[in-house]
Amino acid sequence: MNKSEFARRLFFKRCAAAGLGFATPLDARVRVDASEKQDLPAYDGPYYIVFNASGGWDTTYLMDPKGVGGINRLYEEGDILTQGEHRFAPTEKTREGGISNEAFFSEFGQELLVFNGLDYSVNNHAPCSRYMATGKLDSLAYPTFAALVAACKGQSCPLSFLTFGNYSATGNLVAMSRVPYLPSLKRIANADAMDGNPRSPYHDDFAISRIERAIDERRNARRQLNLLPRQERAENMLYAAQVNSKALARVTPHIPDNLPKQRLAQQAEIALTSFKAGVCVSANLSIGQFDSHANNDQDQMRLIPEFLQGIANVLHRAEELGIRDQLVVIAQSEMGRTPDYNNGNGKDHWSIGSIMFLGPGIKGGRVLGQTDEKQFALPVDPASMKIDSENGIRIRPEHIHESLREFAGIAQHPASLEFSLEVKTKEKLRGLWS
Amino acid sequence: MQMMLVFNRLSRRAFFGITLLIQCFLVQCFWVRGNLFAQNSTNVGCVQAGQGFAGEQLWGKVIATHCLKCHRSGGDAKDSRLVFRATGLETVEDQQGIITSNLRTLALLAKVEENGKSILLQKPLGELNHGGEQIFESQNKAYQLLEAFVSNVAHAGEIRSSLFDEPSGSFFRDVEMLSPQRLLRKATLSLAGRLPQDQELLRVAEGDDQAMIGVLNEVMLEDAFFDRLREGFNDVFLTQGVDGNPDSTVLSYEHFEKTRLWYQQYDLSHIEDENERRQAGYRLANEYRAALLDEPMRLIEYIVRNDRPFTEIVTADYIMVSPYTARGYGVYEEVREQFRDPDDPFDFIPVKLQALKGRNAKEDQDSATGYYPHAGILSTFQYLSRYPTTETNRNRLRARMYFLHFLGIDVLELAARGSDAAAATEQYEVPTMQAAECVVCHQTLDPIAGLFQDYWRFDRNFAIYGKRHEGWFEDMFHAGYEGEQIPPEDRWRALQWLGERTVRDPRFAIAMTEHAYFLLTGRRPLSPPKDLDDPLFDSRYKAWRELRCETERIARQLVENDFNFKQAIAQWVVSDFYRADSMALASEDEYRLVELDDLGVVRMLSPEQLERKILAVFGRSWGKLTEQTAMLYGGIDSKEVTERASDPGGAMGAIQRTLSNDVACRNVAYDFSRPASERLLFPHIETEVLPGVSVEWDQAIRMTISQLHWLILGREDSPDSEEVGRTFRLFSEIIQDAKAAHAIDPREAWSCRQGLLAEVPDPHYTVRSWRAVVTYLLRQEEFLYE
Repeated sequence: MNKSEFARRLFFKRCAAAGLGFATPLDARVRVDASEKQDLPAYDGPYYIVFNASGGWDTTYLMDPKGVGGINRLYEEGDILTQGEHRFAPTEKTREGGISNEAFFSEFGQELLVFNGLDYSVNNHAPCSRYMATGKLDSLAYPTFAALVAACKGQSCPLSFLTFGNYSATGNLVAMSRVPYLPSLKRIANADAMDGNPRSPYHDDFAISRIERAIDERRNARRQLNLLPRQERAENMLYAAQVNSKALARVTPHIPDNLPKQRLAQQAEIALTSFKAGVCVSANLSIGQFDSHANNDQDQMRLIPEFLQGIANVLHRAEELGIRDQLVVIAQSEMGRTPDYNNGNGKDHWSIGSIMFLGPGIKGGRVLGQTDEKQFALPVDPASMKIDSENGIRIRPEHIHESLREFAGIAQHPASLEFSLEVKTKEKLRGLWS
Repeated sequence: MQMMLVFNRLSRRAFFGITLLIQCFLVQCFWVRGNLFAQNSTNVGCVQAGQGFAGEQLWGKVIATHCLKCHRSGGDAKDSRLVFRATGLETVEDQQGIITSNLRTLALLAKVEENGKSILLQKPLGELNHGGEQIFESQNKAYQLLEAFVSNVAHAGEIRSSLFDEPSGSFFRDVEMLSPQRLLRKATLSLAGRLPQDQELLRVAEGDDQAMIGVLNEVMLEDAFFDRLREGFNDVFLTQGVDGNPDSTVLSYEHFEKTRLWYQQYDLSHIEDENERRQAGYRLANEYRAALLDEPMRLIEYIVRNDRPFTEIVTADYIMVSPYTARGYGVYEEVREQFRDPDDPFDFIPVKLQALKGRNAKEDQDSATGYYPHAGILSTFQYLSRYPTTETNRNRLRARMYFLHFLGIDVLELAARGSDAAAATEQYEVPTMQAAECVVCHQTLDPIAGLFQDYWRFDRNFAIYGKRHEGWFEDMFHAGYEGEQIPPEDRWRALQWLGERTVRDPRFAIAMTEHAYFLLTGRRPLSPPKDLDDPLFDSRYKAWRELRCETERIARQLVENDFNFKQAIAQWVVSDFYRADSMALASEDEYRLVELDDLGVVRMLSPEQLERKILAVFGRSWGKLTEQTAMLYGGIDSKEVTERASDPGGAMGAIQRTLSNDVACRNVAYDFSRPASERLLFPHIETEVLPGVSVEWDQAIRMTISQLHWLILGREDSPDSEEVGRTFRLFSEIIQDAKAAHAIDPREAWSCRQGLLAEVPDPHYTVRSWRAVVTYLLRQEEFLYE
């Protein structure tokens, strides 16, 4: 991109930003800003949850079963089960807790889209986590998909992007929120009242109104100053956080009396409650310990069922809350496990893996991509999404993320353009979603 | 002159492209296999502004940032025809000489042809048995630019005259700096959690940088500074995040079986009440565990407090123990006389441990001296426990953390993409020693991992130290450092051996200087930009280079000052990077704005810092930014959550509003209840003083607001300034509103008048109006950030 192209892009971004509630950027970065309105509209979807199996899941015990060549010790090829197009490993008899693949695919297989043979390109946790979360391997600046979609769709939501772990870079587009315990929100939801009790406001109405007005006036005055870019960004973020925080009061009616005990379910409850309250767009949910260098089968048979149960719980709970039809689920891990076992009965890092999707606009009951009997990725024709050993390409996280951006309708958003994945047109995946 | 003309013929943009090409060729191993030294390497060097466009472009953007890892002495391409001399912490003049020499080497090589074509144009295509295999395809734009370089530059002869002669402007030309007083306020709050004293303000107002450094040196003697130092370095090392009870996961069963749980047998029988005795027992255990976790950071405190060389962070032949932890190690009786207060669980002294004794002689630690081979933090059980290993990880996590913590290199920061990583894994018997894309990192990483080989136990509760029974792995590169293998006779002290080499490596001084920067700003220094196609590359590069130059300057001073870490902090404080405050003029130049994008401290205060600031301003902390609220406010637990939030989200915004309301509620009426001479907020005004009554009273109110602006915001606003005028309007309008309202209570709100030292009536609503003013000020960025 030359300078004139850059200038055009910048001009476009400024125009787009002006209509999207961003402060007009003076530099090349998209700036965040708060809505001037006191009563922010509730965000009503779609909502995005990215489940992360942190450490690297063994896909051959889930959606990409093998049972040959010593890849799996718990089952053989003939034991592999199917549900429509889905093929999956049997785990009902070997799982420890959670739910089996059988139960999961039976209930959700029709809605589930699986892509096998994803090439992570490298096989170390840190770069793989970054790559899978952002679609960009060689940059620390890029936002995760969850952060990006939050910035594009609900930047003014007080908990727009929630994270409970995993790589969570935001690209300075949106603030990241960590809420370790849902009831803690109760205490701060009514920030202008003593102990959160609306009957005991700190200030009389006229006084708090004057305070807010003075803050607005000062902010407007400071916008006229020649602030350093970093200073300007910080003041915008701060103002947005304080103004938008008022919408947190919407959360309290939805906080359940009894909170679940499972670690994924706790995270999910916080995310779903925030979705329901209209204060959140996306959430990273994560459980760790998948890095099964020792005793792979034992660990994976404990963790995969727990992970699937977490997804199932979210979908059930979303149904109860009436937001299931607005919920997009992405289930991923930063790497796979090797086809062979090491001396400690474990499996090491493998740069080929899988990803699953479910939600409105995603045609389920399908399996795309493929690995061979040795768990190597097969090339895919991006136009047809069929295996094409001759002319196909290796599908990598940037291809998936480019598609995700298009799916979410944010591919042309200024924030997405700012963090372009530069996927060639001929490599864009056609028909991934339907 | 000839070369200068050649450079002038090239457009600025084209030259960037050429440098990209050279970079890609020279850094083949970086690009293809890894980037172990691409980030923050000392080899990057610093060619100061004024040394010329060509020199800084070619050297800084291309060779130094990307090439030197392989094409240098000791690098993967050390036996090739292209070997550069790396720069370290030399003076600018010396660096210029090295760069010139290196560029001549490059030009000479460009003239070498095989099959009628420069080898510079063949190697990147993977031809001529290029060790780094193929870098580009021939139609690649970068390759075409390399062709231009070979034809236009490399054949033109002399380089020297064109390299350093193009001046560049001052980077800070349009940046306004903090006044000395504001700078001091920022520094004292940051380093010692207090406001500057009048005498200190006077000294810096009348003095120069040396006056400022003099005051800072005194501030850095205060206990609060060392609290901050430990807190800041824990953000780096995260040793507070050791899993489990440290009495078991720091002190292992194998070597401290008989002493580590001493508190369970500690005689508390003098406490008659059973409940009190039980509580005392809990407190004893908790303080013991806290002291154990504290030891590594206490080591840093000891080094800095006593102006010892900061190299001791990896060379100290001692650890810090308190009366409680000494009991855990079983050395209390030996050292008890050295404690100032044997009952203080946090009174730390340096101690040298004996070599470890196992439960049977086979597990005894080798030692030629009879002592444990201490190597600063590296060999502490806390560090080894915080970064454990596994059978398959083989100490590589520890090696990675070593590079990150002590040489400033994140090995995995920007991993290189292989053509097919899975295939490489399958193709080679030992990929880490055979596959090119793996070797480049593992060749450097694995020898360090090997130096940790005798800390080979996986259950920390059972043991941390212990040799691998089968001997160290033969399918790993031999234990050593940068190509030097550790001699067998030094194996027992391998981490000491590593520490000795570490502190001689110029990257160590850079890394420590960057830690000082992190301590003050909460963020890492910029990384060099990589994407030459980015239209903002020049601006990003310039921003990085300026900060890098300052880092190297301070690192040089650190070395010259015998690694006195306080001096590195002081140098950062007086640097333009810490002083930068605002822009002198509005700029529409996007490129300039990108250059300045990261400038200025502008750091959101952590929960701990915010509490300290409240304490400094109001004389008492808020006390609510703890535990879950602290986590909600972006704090860390040093385990799962290890990075502090840099920007506030909605939940944090709500906490800020609560804080501003509550802190004002607790302190405004309280301050008025003090005698005027003892007040912190309102020493020169009374609640009877109303706006709009007289010029004198209005002026008194404005004066008070001006003082509050300084006290709470650190702003130097005159009483007749616009800022004070805005706050004055807030105050007076609320009083007018209250006057117009009916049935206003003549007293402060009940919660806000609790615990007063004397009754504070509020018939005119002035107390509540002042509370509104303080609430308003506490909501501002100048209070919540530094």
